[in-house]
Amino acid sequence: MKRMTGIILTLILLALCTSFALAAEGGNPKKGKYLYKKNCKSCHAAGAEGGELTPLSKTQAQWDRFFEKKGQACQGHAKISEKDVKDVQQFLFDHAADSDQPETCG
Amino acid sequence: MRKLLILLIAALLAVPSVAMAAESVDELQRKIQEMTLELNELSKRVDKTERHTALDRISWYGDLRVKADTLHYKDVTRSQGVFFDFADFGARAMGGEFGDPGDPASPIAKFVTAFPQQANTFFTGGYAPQDFFIIAAPEKSDINNDILYTTRLRLGMKAKVWENVNFSGRLSMYKNWGDSTGSKVFDSWNSFTMDGTNGGNTTGDWVRVERAYFDWKDIGGSNFYLSIGRRPSTYGPPSQYRENEMRGGTPSGHLVHFNFDGITIGYKLGKHTGVEGQVVRFCYGQGFESEWGNGELFNEIDTDDVHLGGFNIDAINDGTNFLQFTLFRAEDVTDGFKGVIAFPSQFAQQLAPTMWQDLQNFPNFNFVTRVQPSTNIGDIMLGGVGFTREEMNGVNWFASLGWTRTDPNGKAGMFGGLLSDPVYQAALVPDPAGGEMIMPMVTATPSSNDEEDGYSVYVGVQVPAPLGKFGLEYNYGSRYWTPFTQAQDDVVGSKLATRGHAGEAYYIFDINPNMFIKVGAIYYDYKYTGSGSPVGAPVKIEDVQDGTAASILPAVDEVWDGYASLTVKF
Repeated sequence: MKRMTGIILTLILLALCTSFALAAEGGNPKKGKYLYKKNCKSCHAAGAEGGELTPLSKTQAQWDRFFEKKGQACQGHAKISEKDVKDVQQFLFDHAADSDQPETCG
Repeated sequence: MRKLLILLIAALLAVPSVAMAAESVDELQRKIQEMTLELNELSKRVDKTERHTALDRISWYGDLRVKADTLHYKDVTRSQGVFFDFADFGARAMGGEFGDPGDPASPIAKFVTAFPQQANTFFTGGYAPQDFFIIAAPEKSDINNDILYTTRLRLGMKAKVWENVNFSGRLSMYKNWGDSTGSKVFDSWNSFTMDGTNGGNTTGDWVRVERAYFDWKDIGGSNFYLSIGRRPSTYGPPSQYRENEMRGGTPSGHLVHFNFDGITIGYKLGKHTGVEGQVVRFCYGQGFESEWGNGELFNEIDTDDVHLGGFNIDAINDGTNFLQFTLFRAEDVTDGFKGVIAFPSQFAQQLAPTMWQDLQNFPNFNFVTRVQPSTNIGDIMLGGVGFTREEMNGVNWFASLGWTRTDPNGKAGMFGGLLSDPVYQAALVPDPAGGEMIMPMVTATPSSNDEEDGYSVYVGVQVPAPLGKFGLEYNYGSRYWTPFTQAQDDVVGSKLATRGHAGEAYYIFDINPNMFIKVGAIYYDYKYTGSGSPVGAPVKIEDVQDGTAASILPAVDEVWDGYASLTVKF
């Protein structure tokens, strides 16, 4: 039992000592999904001005680069706040081509 | 002179610009050459990448989980006995079949001498016409396994076959540390190495095909899809929250957590109704093949295949709300499955006394054997409705109701029928000491032929917490609750199959999106025996402890399972 307690404590300490280092960290993906549908799809649907973009269009790293370069421009086009952009970025990052996907049929 | 001066100045001014212009052209040409070279190199590299992408057709991903569990079982009871036909015994004894009770050499006299207490209960009318004949007083003990380490490796595969056709697969290995035999001594469903539960029970270092199927979508431009193969029928909703992963399977994880080979025909109804994620699916699978590869040479064991079919409907799946309806029927369920077990020697003590004598010479040996069912015992219906909601603030919660109904066909195998025990009757066998003796012999008659309804409720919540999330879950299963969740990888046994109460609390530390630590505990409070098994009559745990009911497998009362795990996804 003592051994088990030791393992648990070690794991907790390990978790506490770990820091996050992601560009997309901190956004709310649920809000991001809503904002993406409301503000981004008008420019980024199939055949629209900005070209079709879905979360699966890019990998997580590519989304980070995308927002580094074009985040401000998108913010201007969509007239949304910096926080909103972060939420959208988090949603797109979380559902990127190389993110976890539901494991279902169809 | 003045003109000359002007010309000289103009020449001086012009020289550098001409010189500079000449340099710029050279520089530009050089740069173009460099860029051309670079483009050629890039083109070659892209060609290589394209070639690699085209040839490397499977995209691999996976996860590795190492886990330590500390297991504490309270009041594990063994109550040796059989469900006995006392009415038949009495009638035959009265008819003189078992000899004269006054003759000490008669079978009936030997029987009374061997079981004086039971004989007294019988003669004073203490038994029902059919009742448990308990051979020995119950033995109760606590079992503590301070630490049990396991490793689970899952390798996922994806490939694009065509624009609307995809392949998915998953190879998995789940082992406890220090054991790669691939078989365990049979004490529960958890220890049975079999097709439907391999992925969820420790079966050594074998990498098994847990899933392999294709999806053929938008068939002929319609909203239909077809999926065939080894199904994604484990880790379904709402069990993904405790796994800290996305939805891990198609059917309700509350009802089905079992590997099936089968077919799904789906229709994306949402494209008509506008309801996001609305899909209607008809699923069909086979749980047992009765002819191919079985252990008899001339088809002596006459069983039918086991088929399962039904509907699995995602009524809403919009990323926030998820509502699912499930209705399945398993036809011609057998009294077990094909599988591999290490034979528990204690079974021989009760069921094969001659073998038991020999096995005493090898107390630490268990022979590994392939078992197969002997009898079709009836049908099982499963139904359920589950709702999950993911709130904007990161709180996830769910509630799921499950229902099962067993419809027995009046038959029983050696270990029983559908939620019933086999009835034993008295038989005369040669006594090694001379003459004859009475032995209880198993019949093909079940102790009950009633339809039984089982119910279960499963609720849970997961809330954001510092560095991760905290979750609480609870489930209750009634006496006859009989879901197909035996492949759930809880080491004590599928918590969702519990006939009784199960509660779990956990804390997940999200180290990064691909790593997390989970620390938690599950408490099981079993009220009835046989959780997860459609074979055998569920009896009250307290009746087994009191010695008024028998349980051939260990009857567990309460268990604490404390655990810590580290999972990495790659």
